[in-house]
Amino acid sequence: MEKELFTFIAGGTAGAGIRKAGAVAGYIFTQMGRRVFEMEDYQSLIKGGHNFAVVSSATYPIQSHYMKADLVVATDKRSYDMHKDHLTSGGIMVYNSDAMKDQQIPNGVGVAFTTISRKYTNSELRLGVGAIAALAAAIGMSKDELTEVIKSQYRDAENNVNFAMEIYDAVAPQLYAKFALKKSDAKHLPMISGSEAISMGAVAGGLDFFFAYPMTPASPLLHYLAGHAKDFNIGVMHPESEIAAINMAIGAASMGLKTMVSSSGGGMALMEEAFSLSGMAEVPVLAILGSRPGPSTGVPTYTEQGDLRFALNQGHGEFPRIVASPYSMEEAFYLAAEMLNMVQQFQTVGTLLTEKHLIESRMNVDIDVEKTQWAQPVMYTGGDEKYLRYKLTEDGISPLMFPPSEQVVKFTSYEHDEYGLSTESPEMIAKMHEKRARKEEALIEKLKQMHTVNVFGETGPLIFTYGSTTMSVLEALRCGNIQARVVQPIYLEPFPVWEFEQFKEESPIVVEQSVMGTFETLIKDKTNIKAKASIRKYDGRPFDPEELAQSIKEVL
Amino acid sequence: MADDLTTYEENTWCPGCGNFGIFNAFKNAVKRLEMEDGISRQNILITAGIGCHAKIFDYLDLSGFYSLHGREIATAQGMKLANPQATIVAFAGDGDAFGEGIEHLIFAAKRNADMTVIIHDNGVYGLTTGQFTPTSPEGFKGPSTPFGSPEEPINPLKLMLVTGATFVARGFSGRLKELTDVFVQAMKHKGFSFVDVLQPCVSFNDTYKLYNSKVELLSQPAANVDEAMRLTEQTEKLPIGVFYQAEAPVYHENLLGNWNPTVQRATRQQRLQSIKSLLEKA
Ligand SMILES: Cc1ncc(C[n+]2csc(CCOP(=O)(O)OP(=O)(O)O)c2C)c(N)n1
Ligand code: SF4
Ligand SMILES: [Mg+2]
Repeated sequence: MEKELFTFIAGGTAGAGIRKAGAVAGYIFTQMGRRVFEMEDYQSLIKGGHNFAVVSSATYPIQSHYMKADLVVATDKRSYDMHKDHLTSGGIMVYNSDAMKDQQIPNGVGVAFTTISRKYTNSELRLGVGAIAALAAAIGMSKDELTEVIKSQYRDAENNVNFAMEIYDAVAPQLYAKFALKKSDAKHLPMISGSEAISMGAVAGGLDFFFAYPMTPASPLLHYLAGHAKDFNIGVMHPESEIAAINMAIGAASMGLKTMVSSSGGGMALMEEAFSLSGMAEVPVLAILGSRPGPSTGVPTYTEQGDLRFALNQGHGEFPRIVASPYSMEEAFYLAAEMLNMVQQFQTVGTLLTEKHLIESRMNVDIDVEKTQWAQPVMYTGGDEKYLRYKLTEDGISPLMFPPSEQVVKFTSYEHDEYGLSTESPEMIAKMHEKRARKEEALIEKLKQMHTVNVFGETGPLIFTYGSTTMSVLEALRCGNIQARVVQPIYLEPFPVWEFEQFKEESPIVVEQSVMGTFETLIKDKTNIKAKASIRKYDGRPFDPEELAQSIKEVL
Repeated sequence: MADDLTTYEENTWCPGCGNFGIFNAFKNAVKRLEMEDGISRQNILITAGIGCHAKIFDYLDLSGFYSLHGREIATAQGMKLANPQATIVAFAGDGDAFGEGIEHLIFAAKRNADMTVIIHDNGVYGLTTGQFTPTSPEGFKGPSTPFGSPEEPINPLKLMLVTGATFVARGFSGRLKELTDVFVQAMKHKGFSFVDVLQPCVSFNDTYKLYNSKVELLSQPAANVDEAMRLTEQTEKLPIGVFYQAEAPVYHENLLGNWNPTVQRATRQQRLQSIKSLLEKA
């Protein structure tokens, strides 16, 4: 029988090409018309340690990886130890026999990965190619098909092909066509990571200049945008610190550029003073916050949703802020453009809150680039005797003009009059506060016209969640055959309370990756809806759908 | 003081403050640049930190950004990158640029950001009532160091020379003509220009007498960095004028080539097209 769901795990040390193998496996499944979700688990080190890529695929739009694999290729002993209990029934372990001398491995296929790879230069780096060769044999690909894949996906094709053929021949007698995967004629969808989705979405929305200082797991945005700056015709700068990054971004935005920054919690904390500056100076900037387990340096390369409260409260003082969190790569793409527009329209700071799980995982997306928003601020069109940067208007939004210009344009961090000069006048202080408060009102009115909350499913118990955890929940419901309604606020600040009226009488299950249940607390504070049960995970790892399905069933 | 470069903001500097000299010299410099070099005031954009010095932002009727304490040089670099055609000047305090935000000063010099930094170097945190700063002498008594500062001061010009600034000068707020000259040259210099202005603070650090007796105009810039370094070590006399000037590639051109992000922005359709083709390959 052809398999619907198939999970492949490749494991090895950092520097063994494991992450690349995950991406190539994704490519192979995509070519079969299958939908893929790939999660990379790696440590904060450059060589050694343990990396693995989990690639799950199916013919339906799969939304999570599964931790139980049909095929594990363990290129070192540590990978074997780690994943030996991660096999489905009928699952097969391909292990490195050089690393596991004299051991009897049930359901195992031993390959002398190390010995064979030593025949080639950069032998270590090739182990990932070996994992791909084993996968190809196991799912019944021919050697020609495998050769094509390697040629299209790897550099140094000749050596890699030769190495792959040796591995293929070594495993084929035991492994060939052990798995027959269901194929489909569905169109091949591109497979991208969340960081690519956010980057492309922002560019589509009008991003002109990106400033960022490296910090895992937000760095992939910096790397991607820097790598494609010329393709997109945008500027990308890596300055001396996060503080420099955001102040430069705000400076550039005061000249009319659409700017963006990104970091993880620590870097975002350093940016906080400038968030408040954006609020006062009314200069738009979009920040991407990629969460990892905190507090403090925490666990750099893993995932968590512990920054929710922090994200909602970025910046001292009172001013409108916008915070939203996408649930999937597709939503991240559109939301990045939409958020860029929102910060431009309301001339303030916005945070796109997301997690390592979204930023670094990869999945297929069906994106229509024409559906993205285009960021457009309200521009000054003349009419006043003198341009007033902070003109008091009904909705609090003062039309923009950018220097160099005939008229003087003064942006400032101080409380100011309409022209932009510092003031200590009690009347003016109050008026400017009220102006910014009116902007908040206008922002809420705008959100009421927008799609701010996703509701999946029509019947059954109610589950509240947000961010990429939503994908885990949806996949859990599918694999656990559970009928439920899943509610996910995309916008978290201002919180779309009006959308929660309909759930006022209900008690949801709240699922989040947090130990203290910040999301659950937020829901209760904002809507007075109390959870009947909480499912929380805080070990740095994303939910496994099967385990999550089990947890949901227990509290239903 | 009403003139077309001055706003309606009430001036609140203490009478006799050195900031007036900087303010007047700067306005003169702007007028000279307009007349002699065809640089219009609309194209001169300013930023300022937070402190007494920074009030100059409110008094000058020029466009720009009144930034945060220590961040004015970062804000300024963002503005320059956005539109390299603009002439950018950051007004900074000694507390601002040598304390809170020293990394931006060092990096702007290191990357030869094409901008001018003017330090109102009064050796105190003026606005916060006279605490010692990185340029206050050892033993300086202020509210946070009632028994005298236990630290040696830094030598700002030396720091800038070591860091790679391509225009390093010192001015004195009491010598208007020389200060104007230095400002004009600094703003015309292509690359990172640093002007440390000796600025007496009559309320917390009155250095008029000292500077009036010691300041001496340099006849010409040093021929090389080593010689300039030696000039910065002089204490008997305090040289003012341009210590060092050199030509070097500027940051925005190294990063962006001739591309101007404001003027040559990609259209929406161009963006969507490039994303589509990347997605096709993904
Ligand atoms: C982040 C931050 N820290 C502290 C302050 C308080 N503060 C305002 S001005 C100033 C010192 C200013 O000294 P300096 O830069 O030398 O300027 P001066 O007043 O002497 O011109 C300080 C510490 C602030 N505004 N922001
Ligand atoms: S405190 Fe000093 S620096 Fe500030 S205005 Fe008065 S004299 Fe000038
Ligand atoms: Mg000072």
